[in-house]
Amino acid sequence: MAWLKIKKENTCSSKTKESRSNQCRKNRQRFVSFLSSHFSVDSPWVQNHIAHCPKCQSRLAAIGRVNLALSLIKSQSHNLDLLMRANTQTINVLKHGLREAPKAQELKSIKPEPKLAKRVFWCVQPSLNVAACFLILFLLKCGIFTSMDKLQTNGKKAYKQYYASQLGEDMAEELFPSDLS
Amino acid sequence: MFDKAVTYGSIWEFLDSQTVSGEQKWVLSAIQKHGQELITMLWRILGNEQDVCDAYQDTFLQLAHFEGCRKPNNIKAYVFSTANNIAISMLRRKIAERNRIARSVPGKDDEHSPYKELDSKFLQENLRECIARLPEHMRSVIVLRDLAELSYTQISSILKISKGTARVYRCKAIQLLAVWMSKEE
Repeated sequence: MAWLKIKKENTCSSKTKESRSNQCRKNRQRFVSFLSSHFSVDSPWVQNHIAHCPKCQSRLAAIGRVNLALSLIKSQSHNLDLLMRANTQTINVLKHGLREAPKAQELKSIKPEPKLAKRVFWCVQPSLNVAACFLILFLLKCGIFTSMDKLQTNGKKAYKQYYASQLGEDMAEELFPSDLS
Repeated sequence: MFDKAVTYGSIWEFLDSQTVSGEQKWVLSAIQKHGQELITMLWRILGNEQDVCDAYQDTFLQLAHFEGCRKPNNIKAYVFSTANNIAISMLRRKIAERNRIARSVPGKDDEHSPYKELDSKFLQENLRECIARLPEHMRSVIVLRDLAELSYTQISSILKISKGTARVYRCKAIQLLAVWMSKEE
């Protein structure tokens, strides 16, 4: 019985530990989201400060230049056979036993392959495009675009009326040609 | 008797080659596993294909001869740190050579024009020069994070620092690079 009691207590303590860690994780997430919403570059008071502070402007511009240079470096691609050439050059200076291994022959003709994430993205993007096309077709079928046209025409009529009241009929006619009326 | 000697000899050769490839097969596995990422990182650091091949070769040669052909505990960490160090040394040598040539050719040093600020090649070279000047702890993080595109988890295991420390080093490195790059304009 005593053993059962101890076991129960242990399970209880592990449960409390788990709930505590969950609570801790939640609090951390809340804290991070609070900080990012109030102190990120996009927050209004930061934007407002940057707009009026030349020092911060120059700092941001300098950091932007670093990021631009980094993205330029990343955007430069090498030849596709570079991996193959580098492998061949490397294998040729390794020990005889390694040079002759079948794996070495494979490496000499290897070509770079995109990462799994990129491969998945490669499949996802065309399917998203197809889905977008289907959505447009569906919207056309539903007649949403027709009602959008009606909405636009009504909007233009309202504009014309407003301009007619403010500037006079002639000006309104000039701005919004007669096919609307 | 002679026949037997020949047979023993060939068997010995065969066994020798088998043990060599058996013992160091992990070198080929390392090339296969990390080769592509390493090429990308070296290309971004050096920007020259021949230099990339040389640095790549040196990295794996050092790996194959690590402490009497012993396998390191963390191959990825060893490979990336070694490649990073080799590439930075090569880059520094290249920069020194370029500066020496620029000094010897009069009028080439003061070619600072507003067009240069927008010149992508100038920006890239400028950044490479500044990265080569960074202190080692910051440079390793910026190279592994931004040029090799490794995650902070991977970086922390390679450099044996915490993820938070890696983030702080990267932030400081970016600030330093920004200051240096704006000064050099």
